[in-house]
Amino acid sequence: MKRINFIYKVAFVAISIVGLNSCTTDDLDPSTEQNKPVEGGITTVSNLEGIIKGAYSAMTSSEYYGRDYIITNEVRTDNCFANGSSGRFTTEAQMAYNENNDYIWDNAYDVIASANIVINQDISVLDGDLDYAKHLQGQAYTLRALAHFDLLKSYGQMHAGGTLGVPYVKEFKGEDLFPSRNTIEENKTDIAADFQTGFDMMSTAYNDSSKQFLNKYAAKALQSRFNVYFGMWAEAKAAAEAVINSKLYTVLSASDFVGSWAQDGSSNSIFELAFSATDNQGINGLAYIYRLGDAGSYGDVQVINEVKDIFEDTDVRGLFPDADGNPTGILGYEGDRLRNIGKYPDNRGYDNVPVIRYEEVILNYAEALLETGGDALTQLNMIASNRGATPYTSATKENILLERRKELMFEGFRFDDFVRNGEGVEKLYAQQNLQATVPYGDYRLAYPITNAEINANSNIVQNDQY
Amino acid sequence: MRSKFTWMLTLITVLVLQFSYAQEKTITGVVTDQDGLPLPGANVTVKGTSTGTQTDFDGNYSISASVGGKLVYSYVGQKTVEKTVGAASTINVVLEQDAQALDEVVVLGYASASKAELTGSTVQVDAAAIEQVPVASVDQVLQGKVAGLVMNNSSGTPGSTADIRIRGISSITAGNNPLYVIDGVPVTNTDNAGNQSSGSSLSPLASISSNNIESVTVLKDASATAAYGARGANGVIVITTKKGREGKTSIAFNTSYGFSNDAVKGPDVLTGAEREMLYYESLYNTYGTSQGFSRDEAQQFYENNLGFFGSAYYDWNQAGRQEANWDEVVTNKDAAFREYNLSASGGNENHNFYASLGYFNQEATVIGSEFERITGQVNFQKSLNSKLKFRTNNSASHSYQDGLLETSAYFSSPRTVKFFAPPIEQPYDENGEINLNTTLPNPLWISQEDIDDSQLVRILSNNSLEWETPVENLRFTTRANIDYQVYNYKRYRNRIDGDGASTNGYGWQSHSSRANYVFQNYLDYTWNISEEHSIDLKALQEYQKNRYYYLEADGDSFSDDGLTNLNSSGNPTTANSYFTDWAIASYMGLLHYSGFNGKYVFDATYRREGNSRFADDHRWGNFWSVGGAWNVHRESFLADSNVISNLKLRASYGVTGNANIGLNLYQSLLNYDSDYAGTGASYPGTFGNSDLSWETSHTYDIGTELGFFNNRITANVGYYYRESKDLLLSVPLSLTTSFTSQTQNVGRMENKGLELEVNFDIVRSNNFNLSLGGNMATNENKVLETALDGAGEEINITTGTRRVEAGHPVYGWYMVSWAGVNTETGLDEWYVDGEGSETTTSWSQANQVWQGESALPTFTAGLNFHVDAYGFFLDANGYYAGGHKVFEDWTRYTNGTDRFSLDLYNGVDAILDRWQEPGDEARFPKMEYTAKPWQNSNKFLYEGDFFRLRNLTFGYDFNQNITETIGIDALRLFVRGTNLYTWVKDDRLKYDPETAADGFTSLTTPPVKSFIFGLNVKF
Repeated sequence: MKRINFIYKVAFVAISIVGLNSCTTDDLDPSTEQNKPVEGGITTVSNLEGIIKGAYSAMTSSEYYGRDYIITNEVRTDNCFANGSSGRFTTEAQMAYNENNDYIWDNAYDVIASANIVINQDISVLDGDLDYAKHLQGQAYTLRALAHFDLLKSYGQMHAGGTLGVPYVKEFKGEDLFPSRNTIEENKTDIAADFQTGFDMMSTAYNDSSKQFLNKYAAKALQSRFNVYFGMWAEAKAAAEAVINSKLYTVLSASDFVGSWAQDGSSNSIFELAFSATDNQGINGLAYIYRLGDAGSYGDVQVINEVKDIFEDTDVRGLFPDADGNPTGILGYEGDRLRNIGKYPDNRGYDNVPVIRYEEVILNYAEALLETGGDALTQLNMIASNRGATPYTSATKENILLERRKELMFEGFRFDDFVRNGEGVEKLYAQQNLQATVPYGDYRLAYPITNAEINANSNIVQNDQY
Repeated sequence: MRSKFTWMLTLITVLVLQFSYAQEKTITGVVTDQDGLPLPGANVTVKGTSTGTQTDFDGNYSISASVGGKLVYSYVGQKTVEKTVGAASTINVVLEQDAQALDEVVVLGYASASKAELTGSTVQVDAAAIEQVPVASVDQVLQGKVAGLVMNNSSGTPGSTADIRIRGISSITAGNNPLYVIDGVPVTNTDNAGNQSSGSSLSPLASISSNNIESVTVLKDASATAAYGARGANGVIVITTKKGREGKTSIAFNTSYGFSNDAVKGPDVLTGAEREMLYYESLYNTYGTSQGFSRDEAQQFYENNLGFFGSAYYDWNQAGRQEANWDEVVTNKDAAFREYNLSASGGNENHNFYASLGYFNQEATVIGSEFERITGQVNFQKSLNSKLKFRTNNSASHSYQDGLLETSAYFSSPRTVKFFAPPIEQPYDENGEINLNTTLPNPLWISQEDIDDSQLVRILSNNSLEWETPVENLRFTTRANIDYQVYNYKRYRNRIDGDGASTNGYGWQSHSSRANYVFQNYLDYTWNISEEHSIDLKALQEYQKNRYYYLEADGDSFSDDGLTNLNSSGNPTTANSYFTDWAIASYMGLLHYSGFNGKYVFDATYRREGNSRFADDHRWGNFWSVGGAWNVHRESFLADSNVISNLKLRASYGVTGNANIGLNLYQSLLNYDSDYAGTGASYPGTFGNSDLSWETSHTYDIGTELGFFNNRITANVGYYYRESKDLLLSVPLSLTTSFTSQTQNVGRMENKGLELEVNFDIVRSNNFNLSLGGNMATNENKVLETALDGAGEEINITTGTRRVEAGHPVYGWYMVSWAGVNTETGLDEWYVDGEGSETTTSWSQANQVWQGESALPTFTAGLNFHVDAYGFFLDANGYYAGGHKVFEDWTRYTNGTDRFSLDLYNGVDAILDRWQEPGDEARFPKMEYTAKPWQNSNKFLYEGDFFRLRNLTFGYDFNQNITETIGIDALRLFVRGTNLYTWVKDDRLKYDPETAADGFTSLTTPPVKSFIFGLNVKF
């Protein structure tokens, strides 16, 4: 009897163990402690704000405004060269890039995807301030326009003898996952429409003093850049005027200019991307590539020696020597190497990166006035005289472009200013990495679309000669 | 830690002190086999006690036993004999061959089987072979011993992970690592260091001392792996730890000491003088014509333009042209190796135990890196009563790896310094202090001040209870296993020089814990239909859960030098934690039939498994296999054959699975690990796929095992064909979706090959044995189908050097073909569309083409040689791999014919073979003062064939007369050399030919060449 009891006990325990161990499909559901499903993950306006911040964050990536987009446009010009100290950007500086590099293609479309989630959200079902939700959608339209504009400038065939632009993506996980390239003209229409919708949907009630988020006039300011790029002068003039008439911004004085780069949210800033001690690109940031610093960093991107000669000694954007002859302006030296010392000055990369500032809008305005027959000189001299430079006596295309070069140097504008005016890139100086002048119309003026795209999507036509 | 030690030591001491006392007489005798040959090492125990001994090399034994007691004589492969102690004090015993147990027992994880009854393809490596090979990680003993197993160490840094590929590659983007099973339980083998990609890796297997391992079995085909079906597609490696043995407690002490150096020196680099010469040459080639100076005037031109070119060479000349020899100063010559292991084993019929304590320490061959491990193991088994048996296997270990920055071209790593530090910059300054005025961080300083430490504590506890149920031959077992891994990584970058200098120091620490639970219940039933027929049945239920918790923080701006913990960071910059888990549930049934005295064997296995990685509706998969074997030699017509002693035909077919992909991929998720302007941000994380399910492999395997002349000659020939379907393919997406890929079940791939193992016991005698064996395997891999895009075009996965496309080996080499250096212009030229097409001097105008091979060897072979005579023995084994190609990486820097080699960094001396003037035929183009972009081409793609003398061991087993005199049971002395000789087919390949599985040479620690002296004592 005792023995039977024992068997029962053991058998009971065994059956219990087996029972405890049995599993159903539901028992195998994994935890998702760090994520939420996309479907049903957005129920409040604050969720929507999280998504749009994700789009801003994607813009700060090292391949986009965090570094590469700005640097690539500098080293391809007569402003800067890549000295090879870590091997970075010599390829871009020689315009020897190939389709193995994804450049901004992936990053810009990341921004667009996040913007599309916000744009296509039915905000009426959300909890929270619905006016703010509409404002966020306005930001999303503006970001979508800006990212497509940046893509178009990089990959479009405007200056390489073609008609193709980039796919204009308006849906997140939409019907067409393998889009073809739109034409340049289609892109221009879509970009213009998105900038306008962005402006219309945003409300001045949500203007943000940090400048780290887009507002109504940032949309207009960016639109003026877009219009200038494509020579839409009347539209450029109107867009710039809208920004100027908002009276939200000022041109910095010569004494404030250099110092403003070490501050966030200056009065000349219209929209800047947030970088901080806890959120920065570190060794992959702008400062690390522009300078070696005391501790030693990459320091690949050096300023071409002759650049210092375009500035007067009194111009804060040049060397601007003090009484002892030591440089105190934007330019400076590390040893005998001419450097960008003043822009993005924190070597750890803690400075915000301006996307658009008021001075550019003024220069856009000056150029639009010149083209449409207005008083360009006043606008042009508003910049020169606030930098310690001698005012111009006349406004010409050359003067405006020269002033743009001086004012926007190291911020990634020079290359666009060449090509939009039908110029290639001239090999002028020994230090330039180019082997020879690249004429306008050369295939290298359009970036190759990355193989990662071509391989996954046979609808994409590669740019010529890549 | 100290208290844990004390505890273990006490335990071992207690176990060791189990002396037995009895009123006894001494019995002596000799144990022989049926042919009269003595059986050395046969066990002689006194029944019902823990007293026991082993016979010596002449089969002699001596044991104390009381009259009327019983002595039990046993020997592997022979029938066990019992003798009652009577008046005689000499008992000679003949142990007959046991037909059923003749074959070694092969451990299959959930079950074990005699070799004759196997229908699958397996290879087992036993303790005797493992013990002679002191290694940080036990998988390293497998190379060359298992046909069809290719092993690649990603780094020679002690303790780092290895890539093992069994019978090729079955998956394109899901994992290809085999499943590891320890004592019947599937364990995780994820590199704990995986969260930091820039340092040394640390393999969980390195936490297990090879001294504690009884056997390692590699299961290769569907029949063998079927029990693990759902995860068996990449093969299974079954590790079994040592059990206690009945008999008197025996104590073993193994110690080895040795030293190692890099097995292959690696490329030589330019001296300062060579580099200077080439530098002037580059100035001449670039500026000579335009600036109007001759080759001889190049130095003068340089010195006239120091402002433009920098004054490095000028200063070097002024300072006396001292050569730096960076390679020498960072080498840790004759890096020390030592290992101690003390173990005890014993028991009686009711319980037995095995316990051990081990210490392992290996320095790396560069300065500032080592691996240290302390292990403890206690395996205990007790019969609670006649029906219940309890078994527990426990191991605990603490591994410490002082790692280094490797896996990429890090400027401050001692592994890369010779390629990057200009040879005209000195390691030490004029005062003999470390020179900090170098253009790149000085690795002498970095290895002294910076920290990359990993620590891993691993506890494995495997507990089971076995119940002989009242139903005859029905056994129930329940098992609970916990595998707990705690990993800590500490990184510190000093404030003064190197990566941390710009932020005044940088610190990062991560801490993770991984708990893996496995619960198993199973029933075993043996149905003895008749004397000649029997069926074994097994039904198993298993549940596995893995929980992983991760915590990290970093900070910069440290308060003072020498304070390296985050406590001293003035500016904490990151705090991060996350939790993930996965779970697997399975049901498995196994049938094994053996009929007509084992002439016919049939196996059938079915496993149903559910995995949390897959979508709800597609979570469960069904896996199965059937296998049969015909032991022809047991047929009457061969029974009397003097020639054929073994002839087995076997065949199997089955479906196995693979779920080796990331977590949560079936879900469409938002990620929240982003932030903007100091607030949290979210973004699309995974694309999701609600149809995601298992990848399956369909394998058939046929083979024959042969033995001739009493198995003096054995051979094992097999062929396999495996087609993998519904691949878990990370299908590239258009980047316009903002995703790079979506995991889909799409694509097919095949692997097929022949495998052959042969062994010749050339001399088999009492005092002299000589054997020679080898194995070889072929593997042919082909992608059959890949995904299609919206337009129906194949989506190929292409990188700058490799491609996945139907009709070609997976990740076959695919790159620009180099056409040589133009003898007139001195420029590199490339074929626009592969060999034979027109050439171009613009690399970016040349298209990538197939190069024919992949990084996976198509032919591998192992060779083993053993000879012993009068106690002396010599073992050698070698490994050959071929039919693949390897690619020299980082050539833009190391093989630059421009400023990269001559001005900024340094280059290999191969570039001295360069074009200088029209008519020159050279491998490298003319030197130029420029910085060229990456130009990967087959110029740097080399034949990968190599042979390596993996081990050479010479030793002596002291004769029993001597060991008895000094009061011990056995004593062995040996010296072992590893990787003493390496042959490489392609003489352009200067790096170690054993690359990571991707076939790229890397700037990591290569395998080492070492000499190890060992001493094994048994009490």
